[in-house]
Amino acid sequence: MPDKVTFEDPSGEGPPITLDTFKVGTGISDHKLRRKKIPAPDPYYLDMGMLYRFAQVEKVRRENPKDEVVLHLAVRGHMGTGKDHDIEQFASLMRLPYYRIPLTGEVRDITLLGSVKLHGDGMGGTESRWEDGDITRALRGPALVNLSELNAAGAETLFALHGLMDRYQAIDLPTGEHIQLRDDVRLFGTMNPTDLRDYAGTQNLNKAFADRWVIWEKSFPDGDQVIAMLVTRYPTLEPEYVDALSRLATEVNESFLASDSGSRVETPMSLRTVLDRMPAGLRMFTASQDPLRRAWETMVLPHVDAYDVDHYETVWNACVRKGPKIAPYNG
Amino acid sequence: MAQSNTSILSEILAPEERAIESVVGRYQRVAGAVARFARSLTGREDLRVVLGAGSKSSDNEIVIDPGLFQSAYGRRAPVTPEETALASALHEVVHLVSTDLEERRPLPIEWLPKDAEPPGDQELMLLEALDQAGGLPAEALFFALEDARQELQGLIVYPGARSVLADLYRAAIPEAAANTGALSQFALAAFLLTGGYIEREILEKRLDSRAAGALSDATPFIEAAAAATDPWDVAGLALQLLVVARMHNLVASASAQESVQHKKLREEAEQEAIAEGVDRIRLHSPIVQDSESYDETRKASEARAAETGRQAEAEVGANEGTDQILRVSQSPTIYLPSGQGGKLLVARIPTSFRTFAPEGRAAIRQASKKWKVDSRHIAGELHPLFIANQRRGLRSGYDAGDLSPHAALLLGAGLYERMFERRASSTRRSYAVSVLVDASASMLQPRRLAGPSDRQPWGLAAAILGAWTLAAMCDQLQVSFEVSLFNRSFAAQIDDNEWSYGKRKNSATAELRQSQGSAADRLTSTVNHYLLSTFDEPWRRCQDVMAGLFWAAASPAEATKAARREARQTPPVSMFEKAANVDEFNITYAAQRLAASRAEVRVLVVLADGMTRGSVDSLAGAVEVVEQSGTTVLGIGIGDDTVEATYGRSKVVARPDELTEAMVDGVRMSLRRGLAMFGHDTWWMRSGRDRQNQSWTRKTKETRNA
Ligand SMILES: Nc1ncnc2c1ncn2[C@@H]1O[C@H](COP(=O)(O)OP(=O)(O)O)[C@@H](O)[C@H]1O
Ligand SMILES: [Mg+2]
Repeated sequence: MPDKVTFEDPSGEGPPITLDTFKVGTGISDHKLRRKKIPAPDPYYLDMGMLYRFAQVEKVRRENPKDEVVLHLAVRGHMGTGKDHDIEQFASLMRLPYYRIPLTGEVRDITLLGSVKLHGDGMGGTESRWEDGDITRALRGPALVNLSELNAAGAETLFALHGLMDRYQAIDLPTGEHIQLRDDVRLFGTMNPTDLRDYAGTQNLNKAFADRWVIWEKSFPDGDQVIAMLVTRYPTLEPEYVDALSRLATEVNESFLASDSGSRVETPMSLRTVLDRMPAGLRMFTASQDPLRRAWETMVLPHVDAYDVDHYETVWNACVRKGPKIAPYNG
Repeated sequence: MAQSNTSILSEILAPEERAIESVVGRYQRVAGAVARFARSLTGREDLRVVLGAGSKSSDNEIVIDPGLFQSAYGRRAPVTPEETALASALHEVVHLVSTDLEERRPLPIEWLPKDAEPPGDQELMLLEALDQAGGLPAEALFFALEDARQELQGLIVYPGARSVLADLYRAAIPEAAANTGALSQFALAAFLLTGGYIEREILEKRLDSRAAGALSDATPFIEAAAAATDPWDVAGLALQLLVVARMHNLVASASAQESVQHKKLREEAEQEAIAEGVDRIRLHSPIVQDSESYDETRKASEARAAETGRQAEAEVGANEGTDQILRVSQSPTIYLPSGQGGKLLVARIPTSFRTFAPEGRAAIRQASKKWKVDSRHIAGELHPLFIANQRRGLRSGYDAGDLSPHAALLLGAGLYERMFERRASSTRRSYAVSVLVDASASMLQPRRLAGPSDRQPWGLAAAILGAWTLAAMCDQLQVSFEVSLFNRSFAAQIDDNEWSYGKRKNSATAELRQSQGSAADRLTSTVNHYLLSTFDEPWRRCQDVMAGLFWAAASPAEATKAARREARQTPPVSMFEKAANVDEFNITYAAQRLAASRAEVRVLVVLADGMTRGSVDSLAGAVEVVEQSGTTVLGIGIGDDTVEATYGRSKVVARPDELTEAMVDGVRMSLRRGLAMFGHDTWWMRSGRDRQNQSWTRKTKETRNA
């Protein structure tokens, strides 16, 4: 009996979806390593609808194997909106080994596909041997491959990935080997919106390449979602702090999305800032007079471009001005 | 900002920090965020927030009068200037976007006393209906409640900004309570409690017992006002407050004996008392002040919305006062070595001076002859320098005179001189000369020329001729060159003519006298720095303007006559006002620009007639600092020897030919000096007619005074 996993629709509209999880069989040569790559579930993860949508696609796919429609999923959103985390959590629930492969500008095709390397033969001589690249290795067994920062990928990389993405569904290695996309491999991707901001090295995704993906938008979580995430993860954080953090994040990110350069900031307040750095800062400055202010100065302002500081501080003044007078954590 | 709880605004803010230009400057730091907040509050993506005269708002624009911010800085409240900038701006935005009393409805029957005749079914605007039901006191109470309600609800997502308002308001309570009667106190309390700015128990202790008594009966209505979502409901609650006030004898009850006239006077007094109480607490915002300013604001908003495109010429003079404030606020602040700082208005010289160019060119030719400024003679004298400098310029692109990689091609094309490639960077020109000319009215006064009876206005004219000659020379020598004029007056703008200049000046002065009182002078009579020709543009482009300016300077009487005849077609000749300059600000600024040109050898020539308003010491100090930074400063005094006390290198001239000679000579000496300093001591520097003028040798303060 295969294990099952059930996805609920957080909006309450769709029926729950139950799916069989994947199995990493012992027939796979690196099955031990691969099992270790199945991500642990994040107990504090808050599904804002993305997992349910992933599950919907997975269900369609399983129920209509003859369609042979290529359904690779890409999530597009600003930095720190939680794109990678969604994909990772999906891998975790589906029990799929997770391979996150960043496609930054520096990544070469040989890093992805593999290359011939020289090895000592132990007798003073050398022999040349093929060594798998990151993608090739992932594709040799059950896997969820997350090609992150798709739109930062160079032409070389896109070319290398082309065959994999379309109906050919395979990569041909220079060794002559043909690696077919397995049934138990899922391809995901993430990307930044390029229209608005200048993310280093990104560009509009090559049309032919973009056409091979289903692209979903992900926006910043709203105020209530931020509160829910904070409360789940830090149950002892005082509500006044939770409120203030959520308000700051929402307002800064709204400024980040403003359409004219005069009234926007270039750095958003990412989930990492809100969920990781600020709560840590609050622990560090528990004893100080205004822990929220100190955490803001230590954990947020240093990440901000100099010309954005006035704007950030104005948001601070408008939303908070003086932090709560109590200690951040009760207990 | 973290220390804000320990400091009181009025204690940390020096008076000049409360000056309108500082207030606007500070606003500009929060402006981006405020605009974004305004968009979120209205849900209008393309909303703009600008400063202007008279607050108003239309669909795509909010105009805030910067004068409104100013009063907030005068309060003794525990808030920082940045917090005040934000809160006062956001406050105005909230009122502008939330106040709409235009909808018409029949007079609600419950607004009238039980025994009154039922109202007709005619539809009225809220303020009309309220006036019928409760008269002026009801209106005043309505605005108090509505003001607070809008702030409470509009700023719900900005609790930080609201807490600034609370601090500003609370700080005003003791004085307001001490100086007002029970009715005023009742009204201000209603405002504070509706806005949730203070606890009732704390407030009551401050109040007159009658006001406090009325307040407890009024509490349910105040709570309802805070929760209301419709201004008509708020108006109904204002009427209830009026009933409570009457019960407690804070307002008189109408009686049959009271004459119409008497009733009117009484109600006016009651309205005034209510408004006075609230006004001592709240920040002033015209749209929720009273019905009159509400109407005015609405009207202004509609007019603004109807405006299309650029301001028409007929509208020159419309918002000049505010425009002037913005111009001053946005201009650079110059700091002198003494630590003293001040605003310097930097502008381009009006291009309309071009209209005098034909006469000007002819006059320059004539004057050069008459005043013996032979440009060919000067060029000839400087020829060796000219060649050497040019070669140096050619070489600098490739280290140690490397051949251009295109050398062969160039040789083939017969372009020998281009064998050394030039690099188009700011370092290519390693010499820069800046000429700063005093352009106050005294430079246009007739002065003695040949004989005692020969008096002509040659000061400014000779200075411009000198600048003209230097410009031509520097252009040939590939020396970066800049000419600016300086004075103190109402600042002209690049597109001004005599008519628009006069009109702008008069309206701005009138408007600012009204809104800023004695500060108006400082805002209208500014220290100006007019750029005539700048380092980064070919001087040819400025020749016409300069020639026209020469004519205006050489024939001021004729120029003025022309201006009187056809003001719209004439340059603003009245911009040369009679006001003493503060030369040190302009010198410091000109030196900054020179330094920014990154030339190795920098020369600043200042021509003045000595009527500086600043102190001699302060001017000397500024010059000294510029010299220490490696820029050579030459002071030329026109018929005045103040320069000898203030400039390390100076010369006093009494005739136009002396003046141009001094300029050219001084610059030549400085360039030579610069070349020697950088190790270009070549044959041509030592040979030839070396007439190095001793008077340009630098004197220190000590030797000067000896
Ligand atoms: N839905 C979520 N629930 C709880 N925490 C989340 C969620 N999404 C993201 N996070 C937290 O935010 C961090 C940043 O998310 P990440 O996926 O790396 O953002 P992105 O890929 O969009 O830049 C994660 O490390 C995680 O701690
Ligand atoms: Mg107000």
